[in-house]
Amino acid sequence: MRIAGETVGARGAALLSVTALVGLFLAAHGWQGRHHGLPPAGLGVTKPSVSAPATPGASSPAPTGSGQPSQTPSASAAPRQGPAAAAAPTPGPKLSSQSYASYSFLVWPGTPSSAAQAAETGLTIGVHRQGTGISVAAGVAGQGAPTARYYPTGTKVYVIEASMGDDSGNSDFNLGDDGLIVTDSQGRILQ
Amino acid sequence: MTKNASPAVASRTRPAARRPGAAAMDAAADTGLAGRAQRFAAEWAPTAGRIMLGLVLAWFGYHELVQPQLWTGYVPVIPATSTFALVLVLVHGWILLMLAVAIVAGVALRLAAAVAALLLAQIVITLTVTGGLTDLTLRDVGVLGLAVCLSGGARQRAALTR
Repeated sequence: MRIAGETVGARGAALLSVTALVGLFLAAHGWQGRHHGLPPAGLGVTKPSVSAPATPGASSPAPTGSGQPSQTPSASAAPRQGPAAAAAPTPGPKLSSQSYASYSFLVWPGTPSSAAQAAETGLTIGVHRQGTGISVAAGVAGQGAPTARYYPTGTKVYVIEASMGDDSGNSDFNLGDDGLIVTDSQGRILQ
Repeated sequence: MTKNASPAVASRTRPAARRPGAAAMDAAADTGLAGRAQRFAAEWAPTAGRIMLGLVLAWFGYHELVQPQLWTGYVPVIPATSTFALVLVLVHGWILLMLAVAIVAGVALRLAAAVAALLLAQIVITLTVTGGLTDLTLRDVGVLGLAVCLSGGARQRAALTR
């Protein structure tokens, strides 16, 4: 058999046919599991784009600076007033039971590790003490100020980054594998 | 006439006059370790390049197929959360897997490598347009170069030609 001037023998054709079927099987598997990945829109991603810091306040040149959650109060990080801010989030499954648990990096409490700081590339994550709890604001760098949400005390904040290979400098080429997880004191996911 | 020709031209037009003992030196080089390594590399390097390019494509193809939701951020123009972006990632992953197997096995190698080069060129251009020239983009330029090189059709060992 000739394809565009190249000869493909019977064995080659058979191999490609089997590969095509395996690929379709994997695609069906991926399609079925499309909702089992990171929580959708966890970061309020509105469009696929490289997230480069656009505002001076969004990041600092040093990676360690850009990766640190903001510890200072700011107007943009103020929790939203109203039912969404007041209502207690319902705990979901444990983070440790999720497929992306191994990609999670602790941001709060404490100082984020270097891996967590690297995972925050291209994101703006602000965690502030708010009364007895904390307010968490997370978004994509350069896409406007994220809206903060209030969580009760004892919560932990994790950033998810499935692959560090899509980060370059202060840019994240693929925000599809990024997310933010807030858990309660038992490790159950609140957001 | 040939006296005035440059050595390069002379060597193309007729065998160059060789110094006495040059043939013996070549024979010694051929039988030496360096000569054997050179022959081995000339014979197997295209195969190694073929397999390594195929592994790269297979890795990305497999992961795009089994976890497409993690790759939709790379789809240009289309919103990452849309179903269409997910379908595009699955199609892209399937094509990558097919190309990977064809390249590793050496089936329609030049065609597969040329298609892979086109796909990689699209990726490089998209990443450059959206994010500028970065280390990630230039790394893909290297892979693109390997695909372009293989599309030239060097003689391959361990290829499934039947």
